[in-house]
Amino acid sequence: MSGKARENLTAFLFLLPFLIGIIVFFAFAFVRTAYYSTTNYNLFEKNDFVGLSNFTGVFNDPLFVQAMINTFSFSVFTTLIQTVGALLLAIIMNQKLKGIGFFRTAYYFPSIASSAVTVMIFIWLFRPTGLISYIAVSVSNYMPLILTTLVITAVAQAAQVAFERSRGLPATPFDPALLVVSLIVGVVGAVGLNAANVVQIGNAQPEPLLWLSRLDKFLGFIPYPILMTIIMNSFTTIPTLMLTFLAGLQGIPQSVYEAASIDGANPLQQILYVTVPILRPVTFYVISVGIIGTFQMFDQAALLGGTAPLEGTITLAFYVYNSVFRGGAESLVGYASAAALILAGITLILLQLQRRFFVSDEGVSK
Amino acid sequence: MKKRFLGLSVAFGAAVLASSMVQGQSNTITIGGYDGATDTALVSELIAKFVKPKLAADGVDVKYVPTADFGKAIQTQLSSGTAPDLFYLEDFAAKSLISSGKIMPLNGMVNLKDFLPSLNSVFSSGGKQYGIAKDFNTLVMYYNRDLFDQAKVSYPDADDTWNDFTTKITNVQKALGKGFAGTCFPGSYDRFGAFAASTGWKPILSGKTTILDANFRRAFTWYTNLVKSGVAVKPSQINAGWGGDCMKSGKVATAFEGGWALGFLRDQAPNLKYGTTLLPRDPTSGKRGNLIYTVAWAVNNGTKNKTAAIKVLNALTSVEAQQFVLRGGLALPSRISLQDDPYLSGTGVENVAFRNVFKGASDGNAVPFAPDRFGGDWFRGIDEALNSVMDGQKTVDQAVRDAQRSINTVMAR
Repeated sequence: MSGKARENLTAFLFLLPFLIGIIVFFAFAFVRTAYYSTTNYNLFEKNDFVGLSNFTGVFNDPLFVQAMINTFSFSVFTTLIQTVGALLLAIIMNQKLKGIGFFRTAYYFPSIASSAVTVMIFIWLFRPTGLISYIAVSVSNYMPLILTTLVITAVAQAAQVAFERSRGLPATPFDPALLVVSLIVGVVGAVGLNAANVVQIGNAQPEPLLWLSRLDKFLGFIPYPILMTIIMNSFTTIPTLMLTFLAGLQGIPQSVYEAASIDGANPLQQILYVTVPILRPVTFYVISVGIIGTFQMFDQAALLGGTAPLEGTITLAFYVYNSVFRGGAESLVGYASAAALILAGITLILLQLQRRFFVSDEGVSK
Repeated sequence: MKKRFLGLSVAFGAAVLASSMVQGQSNTITIGGYDGATDTALVSELIAKFVKPKLAADGVDVKYVPTADFGKAIQTQLSSGTAPDLFYLEDFAAKSLISSGKIMPLNGMVNLKDFLPSLNSVFSSGGKQYGIAKDFNTLVMYYNRDLFDQAKVSYPDADDTWNDFTTKITNVQKALGKGFAGTCFPGSYDRFGAFAASTGWKPILSGKTTILDANFRRAFTWYTNLVKSGVAVKPSQINAGWGGDCMKSGKVATAFEGGWALGFLRDQAPNLKYGTTLLPRDPTSGKRGNLIYTVAWAVNNGTKNKTAAIKVLNALTSVEAQQFVLRGGLALPSRISLQDDPYLSGTGVENVAFRNVFKGASDGNAVPFAPDRFGGDWFRGIDEALNSVMDGQKTVDQAVRDAQRSINTVMAR
C-alpha cells in the first residue's frame, strides 16, 4: 500500500464513526421519513401508498396552519431578540472592569438550567394568582404615584439643567449628579402629595390574571403562550450566545477602536461601524443556530401543553410528535412525516435566504 | 496471529453466552405497566403472592417492567415487537391498539362470563375479547364533614339534585367566608363527563358526537356557571393539581373523584374527616350520571410463551388476587362473584366509599370514559371549551360551537 493510499485510508477510518452516525441517524431517517410521508402508515399493519395526500391533508388541518404561524412568529422574534440581546450583553461584559468575572458568571446562570426547569418556573410565575399577576396588580395600583414621581423628577431635572446652563456651566439633560437630586425631589414630592391625599394609591385586589390560557393574541397573531415562550427562550439563550459573541469580541484588537476614536467615532458609532461588521461571521453563526433551534422548538411547547390550549402552544415540531402520539388514537405517521419534511424544507430555505440577503459568513463586507 | 485468534475466540464465546441468555429469557414472562410507586408496589406484591406460586412448577419466572409515559411506550413497543408478554391496556387506547392486530384474542382461554359484561365490552371488538379488566372505578362525591358542620349545613346526600347541591355548597361558602370554596371543578371532560351523562347525553351515538344538544348544554352551563360565580374553583386556582389536593387543603367542601383518592387521603390527610355519597342528579332528567374508568390486562400476540402468559393473566385476575386488591382498599374487582364481598357492606368510610363507587357504575346513566377509538384528542375540544368559559374568555354558545368543530376534525381524521 503506497503512503498516499495509506494516509487516505487512515483519514477515512477516523471519519468513519461520524459517517456511520450520519448515515444511521440522518440519511436513513430522512429517506424513511420521505417514504412514510407518501403512505398511510400507522405504526402497525397499514402501509399503503397514498401519493401526496398527506401534504394536502396537513395544509388543510387548521392545527398545522396554526403551528406554522406559531413557529414563524416564535422563530423570528426569538432569533431577533436573542441575537441583539446577546450582542449587547457581550459588549457590556467585554468591559475591563473590576469584578467583571462575577457578572459574567452571574449572567451565564440562566443557560445552565434545563429547559424543563425553566418552563416549570415560568408556569409557576405566570399562574393566574402567581407572582407576575401580583406585580401587575401592584404596579397598576401604584401607577398614579409612579407617574407623579416621574413628572416631578422631569420638571426638577429640567429646572436644574436650565439653572446650571444659565450660570454658564455645561450640563447635559441626563447629568447623573443632577438626576440623583431630581429623583429625590420626585420621590419626596410624590410621597408628600400622597400624604396630602392629592395622589391616591389604587386598591385593586390581587386578582387572578390569565397569561398562559389567554385565547386572544398579542399583536393579533402571536398566542400568549408563544409570547411567554419567546420571553423564556430569550432569557435562557441570550447568555449562551453572549459567550460566543464575547469570544468574537476578544479577538478584535483594541487598536481598531483607538483608530475609530481618533477619527471621531462615538461609542455607538464604534459598535455600529466597527464591532458589528467585524463580528459578521460570529453573527452568521448565532443567527443560523437561532433559526435552526427555534424552528425545532419542542420541549417548551410540550411542557406547557397541559396549562394552555393546544392552538396556543403548538409548533411544527410539536405537531409532528402530536400526530404520532394522539392519546391512544391511531398514529398518523404519514401526516407527521409530511410535516417533518415541510419543517426541514422551511429551515433550509430560510438559512439560504439569510445567507444571501442578510448576514453571511464572510468577514467585513466587500 | 495468535493474538488475533485469541481475540476472535473470546468474541465468539461471548456471543454464544449472550445468545444462550436470550434463549433463557423466554422462560420469563414480563409484565408492562405504569411507573408509579403504587403500581410498582402493588403489581410486584400480586406477582409474589398470587402469580409466582402458580407458575413455580413450570419453571417460569415473572417480572414487572414499569415504563414512564406508559401509553406512548406500549404503542412503540408493540410496533417494534419489543412489548412485554403481558401489559396494561388502557380503556381510551383499547380500540385503536386492538385494531393493530398485536393483541391476542382471549376467547376460549379465559372464562369471560366471570367478569362484568359492561367492562368486557370496553375491550372487545368484532365479537372477540382482547383484555380482561383488572379493576374499575367511577366518581363519587367526597365531602369535608368539618366544613359542613362549621357552616351548619346538612351533608350532601344521594337524593340531592344539582340545585340542592348548589344551594348547599353556596351556603357553606357564605358561612365560612373568603378563602373557602364549595367544590373543585376541573376544566376537563374526565370529571365533567359524568354530569353531561346524567342528562341523558351520549358521548358517541352511531359514530358521531353532538355537543350542540340541549342536554349537553344544560350540564355545561351549570358546571361552568358554578366556577364563574366563584362557588366552585378550578383546582389550579387554589394551587391544587386535582380533587384529592382540593380535599387535602381543607378549604374546599366537596370534590368529585374515584376510589383512587382514598389511598391518597389516607396518607396525605389522615386527620381529614370526610364522607362520600353518590353524584347529584340532573333536576330535569331526574337521573345521575357517571364515567366508568377501567384498565385491562392484555397479552402480546408475539409472546414466546403463550401458555405461561395466559396463566399469569388468569392468576392476576383470580378471585384471590382481586379480593386482595379490594380488601386493601385499592380498587374494585371486575369479577361478578366479588361484587357481594363482605368488604363492600362494611360501615367504615372507605367501605362506604367503595360501595358508592360500585353503585356509580349502574345507577342512572353511567357511560364508559373511553370515547371509542378517538383517544385523548377527542377530549381536547371539550376541555378547552370548559376552560375558556370558566375563565370568561368565551360565551357558552361560542365555546360549544368551537368544540364541536374541533371534535368533528378529530373524528374525521
